Amino acid sequence: MTVATSAVTAFILLNAVILMVTYVTLLERKFAARMQSRIGPFYVGPRGLLQPIADALKLMMKEDVVPTAADRGVYNLAPIVFLVPCLLIFATIPFAPGLGLADLNIGVLFFLAVSSLEIVGLFMGGWGSNNKYALLSAMRAVNQIISYDLPLIFAALVPVVLAGSLQMSAIVAAQQGLWFVAYPIIGQLAFLAFLVATLAAENRVPFDILEAESELVAGFRVEYSGMKFALIQLGEYAHMIGSSFLGALLFLGGWLGPGPEWLGPLWFMLKAVLIFLLVTWVRWSFVRIRVDQILAVSWKLLLPATLLILLGTAFWVAARGSGGGV
Amino acid sequence: MSDGSKGLLAETAQLVGAVGRAMGMTLKNFLRKPVTVRYPDVPRTYPDRFRGILALTYDPETGEENCIGCRLCEYVCPPQVIKVEMLKAEKRNFAKTFTLELYACEFCELCVQVCPTDAIIMMKSFDLATGDRRELLLDKDRLHAIGLQFEPSWATGNRLRDMQAPPKVAKGEGSKGEGAKGKGEAKESSE
Amino acid sequence: MAVTAARTVVEVGYGGNERLMMNMGPQHPSAHGVFRAILTLEGETVVAVDAVIGYLHRCHEKLAETLTYVQYPSIASKTDYVAAMTAELAYVSSVEKVGAIEVPKRAQWLRVIVAELQRIASHCLWLGTWCMDMGGALGGGATIFLYCLREREAILDLFESLTGARLLYGFHQIGGVRYDIPAGWAAHARQTVAHIERRLDEYEALLEGNAFFEARTRGVGVISRDLALEVGIAGPLLRGSGVGFDVRRAEPYSSYENFPFTVPTETAGDCHARYRVRMVEFRQSIAIVRQALDGLPEGAISSRPGVKSVGQVRVAKGEGYARVEGARGEVGCYLVSDGGPKPYRLKWRGASFSNLAVLPHIIPGHKVADVVAIMGSVDPVFGEVDR
Repeated sequence: MTVATSAVTAFILLNAVILMVTYVTLLERKFAARMQSRIGPFYVGPRGLLQPIADALKLMMKEDVVPTAADRGVYNLAPIVFLVPCLLIFATIPFAPGLGLADLNIGVLFFLAVSSLEIVGLFMGGWGSNNKYALLSAMRAVNQIISYDLPLIFAALVPVVLAGSLQMSAIVAAQQGLWFVAYPIIGQLAFLAFLVATLAAENRVPFDILEAESELVAGFRVEYSGMKFALIQLGEYAHMIGSSFLGALLFLGGWLGPGPEWLGPLWFMLKAVLIFLLVTWVRWSFVRIRVDQILAVSWKLLLPATLLILLGTAFWVAARGSGGGV
Repeated sequence: MSDGSKGLLAETAQLVGAVGRAMGMTLKNFLRKPVTVRYPDVPRTYPDRFRGILALTYDPETGEENCIGCRLCEYVCPPQVIKVEMLKAEKRNFAKTFTLELYACEFCELCVQVCPTDAIIMMKSFDLATGDRRELLLDKDRLHAIGLQFEPSWATGNRLRDMQAPPKVAKGEGSKGEGAKGKGEAKESSE
Repeated sequence: MAVTAARTVVEVGYGGNERLMMNMGPQHPSAHGVFRAILTLEGETVVAVDAVIGYLHRCHEKLAETLTYVQYPSIASKTDYVAAMTAELAYVSSVEKVGAIEVPKRAQWLRVIVAELQRIASHCLWLGTWCMDMGGALGGGATIFLYCLREREAILDLFESLTGARLLYGFHQIGGVRYDIPAGWAAHARQTVAHIERRLDEYEALLEGNAFFEARTRGVGVISRDLALEVGIAGPLLRGSGVGFDVRRAEPYSSYENFPFTVPTETAGDCHARYRVRMVEFRQSIAIVRQALDGLPEGAISSRPGVKSVGQVRVAKGEGYARVEGARGEVGCYLVSDGGPKPYRLKWRGASFSNLAVLPHIIPGHKVADVVAIMGSVDPVFGEVDR
């Protein structure tokens, strides 16, 4: 690809991602509402379909407030530092064989590494706000995300080992026969561990101790309003949907599905939305657990478990003899 | 070692069960019909005794105002939102002015209970929001207009006093039915 | 061992200059009203709590001196606005006690029915807000909150068809009650409590054995039996710490001696124990409502004629204290009367006011996240605290 086509593709992808992310918020709100015996947004547009647009316009029109004692540079830069990695991860996701911005041959590594960079933006937001609640939340967030990155990486490595490559399209191609989630025991356990670790890396209930509305009122983003808040929301949901795409790619066979080739991206979307809905279902069903319990789950349960699963997968692949060396 | 792993397995089984039950409950509610009533589009059914906006009434037979300006409602009102001036006339008295500050009203229904002529009553409406607070300072004309605009609640002074009155002394066989006439709604005890 | 200090300070260890004073201020999503808790933190652990109240003070006791016995019952409901029926009952009980005013049987049974229905409604709100505090307004907590409020709305519909109001009723008056039950209300009430019983089974299935819920509530906020008796708390807090004291059993009022029910007691003293106590109370209240509806006697609903003037009720000179078992504990009124139509002095014993006194003793040593779990299980209503 030339620079020009790359730039155009990137522009189209960016707009598509942002549009998708805003509508994913509506999907979550309607889904959550039905689970709570009510209807979600209903009045803006036909059955609420224009609600995300209305929210975006409202946030754009809001006044930009900066607390007096805030560290201005850090405070203003934090939403951008938070958002950019969350959007950058979409560059490596191929939506169909050959349809993607950059199908790197270290795709999974790039995705996981870049998505962890959001923690820098998060901490900048907590520090720059000059607010004890925000600082407390940022400290908890650093703790939690660092603890859960390791199990996430190990769980994501299981499909890599099974496919023998870090390139995302190669991983999907290796699932032609059987999706990785269907592999006996290691597939299901790895998928489960991936989901749990993603929940924690996303700061979603039951691991959302960092925002904990009832204690810290919004965590590190408590002092943000208007467009900066919109950027942070965008980043969070982009990370969420990006991880769903990754999960669909790694475990659920990506664009593989019955029917003609051109249905591939649609299957891919469907699987990613299913993972997203599963995560949302969990979110709206449970109370959260305390930060020390979250860390205990990570270090005492999830990390040893994912290590064992990875080790088991490696032994199995070696015994099978196929799947080449990584 | 077997005890430890059995404990872990049992614990994991319990955890999986609990997670499953919780998520099953949310799924069950997902499939239930929402309880939302789409209020402005769907009108609300008011119960009989609803304590809504206040109003002054006319006598249905003579068409005269019921209010005799006795000021009992003014004295009983806890936040003192009613102000009445009496107008004396030959056969009966009237109210010269009657103002009710609806923005401070508690909707406690004491004024209704105290009124000897059933003049002031509450209506079945709670759509009280206005853009201008002065519209909530109700004067006599406005109160009469409200009385004609909405549906009245069941409660009037005499009905409430009848409901609360201790039973009259029994006068004979048929008196039980008569004595209980004013408390017709009190018959719901054997179900 | 007597508790001598007003609060407990737990030294965690790393010294003075690592401490953070954080204000869980009057405006807070889970302060349950307006409550200021100044937390001294070391890291995530709370070292000391200074409680500041008074943000909702509305001079109830002075109001009671300026309003007559006819006017005040509808104001009394505004102390414990979540469980208004029991608050009104406390006031009218004290006036009836000091004035030796009889209350007819039917009125007493009606008072029992509404008090128990109110207890169910108040506990629905407690469960919803407590789970929301622990689970987040954007999370599973909000789900349980909306389910519980859905059931509470059913009871408020019952109250609306009885009195015309949903939250602050003005149902009680000196000598009886103001409204009698309308046609079809008893059947509607039975349907509602049966519906709530079924839903309660669902909520118990959701929360019992749930690892997250157990992790947040077991061993958290333990009130020892001695501390409970020393500080003077009441209600589910006391019964969760092993003291089986219920005003309805100890000093039966308003015909409660006619209703057999068990007083649930748990010994653990933690948040989970208080949760269990309240869940059993739900079912006991439903049973009492059914018994009362079955046996409701005929008769008048008030021993005094209907209200015709504001100074109608005069109470003889004297003083006395009457208490009722509210949803949160013992609610009482101490009345001093000088023979006129208004009290000379009225003192409210607010259940939540006494219950809050235990917070500075049990919170230190826990993490910040436990503060909301403990406050939710104490279930304060600040109308009662600040009056």
